[in-house]
Amino acid sequence: MSNNLLVLSAAGMLVTAFLMVGQKALFTAIRLYGAQSWLLGVVAVTIALADDRPPLFVTAALTAGLKGLLIPWFLMRVVDRIGIRREIEPFLNVPASLLICLALTVVGYRVSTGFPEGARGVAHHVIGVGLSMLLIGLFLMVTRKKAVTQILALLTVENAVFLIALGITSGMPLVVELGISFDVLLAVLVLGILVHRIVDRFESMDVSRLSQLKG
Amino acid sequence: MSLLLLTLIVPLATAAIGGVGGPRRLKEAVLVSGLALTFGLCLATASAFLAGGPIEQFEAALRVDGLSALMLVLNGFVGLLSGIYGVGYLRRNEERGLVTARMRREFHGLIPAYVFALLLVSVSNNLGILWIAVELTTLASVFLVAFHNRDTSLEAAWKFLVLGSLGLGFALLGTVLLFAAAQGRLGEGLTALNWTRFMEAAPRLHPFTLRLGVVFALIGYGTKAGLAPMHTWKPDAYREAPSPAGVLMAVGMLNAAVYCVLRVHLISRAAIGPEFSGGLLLALGLLSVLVAVPFIVIQWNLKRLLAYSSIEHVGIMAIGIGIGGEAGAFGALLHMTYHTFAKPVAFFSAGTLAQLHSSSDFETIGAGTLGRAPISSVLLLLATVIITGSPPFGIFFSEIIILRAGFAGSHALATSVFLAALVVLFCGFTYQVGRLVLGPQPAEPRRDVTPETLDLCLGTAIVAAVLAVIAGFYLPGSLLELIRAATQVVGGRV
Repeated sequence: MSNNLLVLSAAGMLVTAFLMVGQKALFTAIRLYGAQSWLLGVVAVTIALADDRPPLFVTAALTAGLKGLLIPWFLMRVVDRIGIRREIEPFLNVPASLLICLALTVVGYRVSTGFPEGARGVAHHVIGVGLSMLLIGLFLMVTRKKAVTQILALLTVENAVFLIALGITSGMPLVVELGISFDVLLAVLVLGILVHRIVDRFESMDVSRLSQLKG
Repeated sequence: MSLLLLTLIVPLATAAIGGVGGPRRLKEAVLVSGLALTFGLCLATASAFLAGGPIEQFEAALRVDGLSALMLVLNGFVGLLSGIYGVGYLRRNEERGLVTARMRREFHGLIPAYVFALLLVSVSNNLGILWIAVELTTLASVFLVAFHNRDTSLEAAWKFLVLGSLGLGFALLGTVLLFAAAQGRLGEGLTALNWTRFMEAAPRLHPFTLRLGVVFALIGYGTKAGLAPMHTWKPDAYREAPSPAGVLMAVGMLNAAVYCVLRVHLISRAAIGPEFSGGLLLALGLLSVLVAVPFIVIQWNLKRLLAYSSIEHVGIMAIGIGIGGEAGAFGALLHMTYHTFAKPVAFFSAGTLAQLHSSSDFETIGAGTLGRAPISSVLLLLATVIITGSPPFGIFFSEIIILRAGFAGSHALATSVFLAALVVLFCGFTYQVGRLVLGPQPAEPRRDVTPETLDLCLGTAIVAAVLAVIAGFYLPGSLLELIRAATQVVGGRV
């Protein structure tokens, strides 16, 4: 039962990552990221129950609270205030992007077979999904032009790292996890402020316009 | 309260006081005295280590061994220099009406906060804390890069933050994988991520997971160090950041990131031998030195020239570490020390020239600066002589040590390429600076250039130059002892 739930939520995270690739409306992309973070919380709770590791409940609560609510809320406010709702045509069109992400998923799964067998047979799936999401996040980052989408890509990479951590080790020591979560929150705040400044100066949040510095 | 904690609390408190409003004189006094006290405490902590061995705090989450002690001294020194120069820098910009109250608060808050984060990196023994501290350095410095709020500074800050965060994501994954490689042997709780615990458990780490973790961690922290091909944020950030922040990035951040790289490398070496991570570092280092060659030869901007020089020097350190052995490690650490003394002189004199000409582009500055700004021009020439590794200064010797270690080991080909690149870089850098400083004077006197006055900035630059020259010939005994202790950590027998 718990194994099924684990695989289901991990697969759900992968689906949100794919949907993000096929998505142009910024609000929807932010909501997808929120859903992805909630699913990460579910993964943490499932592992906590199955392995009887209470500290993971704190991780789950943090993930849901910070990444599932606070960060999406803040990003939506940023998008709302700068009044740009859609990603413009990415450097690569959507069907091609989805195909590439499919290939990346295969690569992610292939690499995950090198790890030692964990206590749970499902660990393999969790790590595979995590590595695939990591690659998809990187792909999003290089192909998208809007500042907010780039932030979402960074955050997807972050979630992927946490998923891998859960699959492979049942989580890092709690103190460290707390520190990392707040650091991520801080980083998002800083990124948000920077987006504001960029929009103020350029009246656009298209980062492909940031191309004066060369050589 | 322990000395180590005090060393961290003082810059943090300085940042907190600097971040709020207040009369200018008071803020300046707080910044300089806070950073001076911090440097004093760094020295005291290092000498406490020399006298009594490693110092630990919070179940060894913070730990000062030889390597950390050396880092403390070097980064504390740069912090103080940057603080004093920073006061002068703000005064200069204030005379031109370029500084708002908000900018002053930002500056006085962020510079000591940056120093705090750098010192926290220097004493982190816990890989989790280490990651958090590196993230803090990024967050503290991003608004310093964006300080002048020009189009180009926002672009540089965005690149810096996005690439830096991506690198840190990789470093986090690397840390997770290293932790996983131990397969539960490290226990639970905060101490499980302690570097010292990793070293004890090293022979039993799972090889595949470890290798993957080392690759991710080295690429991640290598991004912060500015190793090629993850160096692309560096030229932009250096050009846009105000010189005092530039020095902290070029020296403090570079040292701190090399420290992270070293810790990861040491775990990998203890687990699976020096070939894997050493080879990776050698390759990245060589690539960095080679990448710097064309960009230095055709450079059009003074501060970007310094950035590529910094990519070159971090490459040299990585090569030293990669070649390994006691000689390679000693060469790399010696190089880091000399670089820490020399780089501020280059930044301060170049920064002054840029401020006087309101630009750091060669074209706007124009040739023949010796006639317009003699002091900073002479200092820039001096810095060039030291930093390009001309004898009789120290960098020449540290480079020779690394080269000898390379030829003595089995890296003849890599070392030959390295040597050739060094020669070209020497010529390129000297040519660029020589052309700028000694080139023909313009026919008519330039009216758009602010005349040079001997202010606080230039005073700091002169003091830094005197220190760099002295250090180039003679390192104090205790500093040498620290470098040896650090070499013990890095190059000691496994």
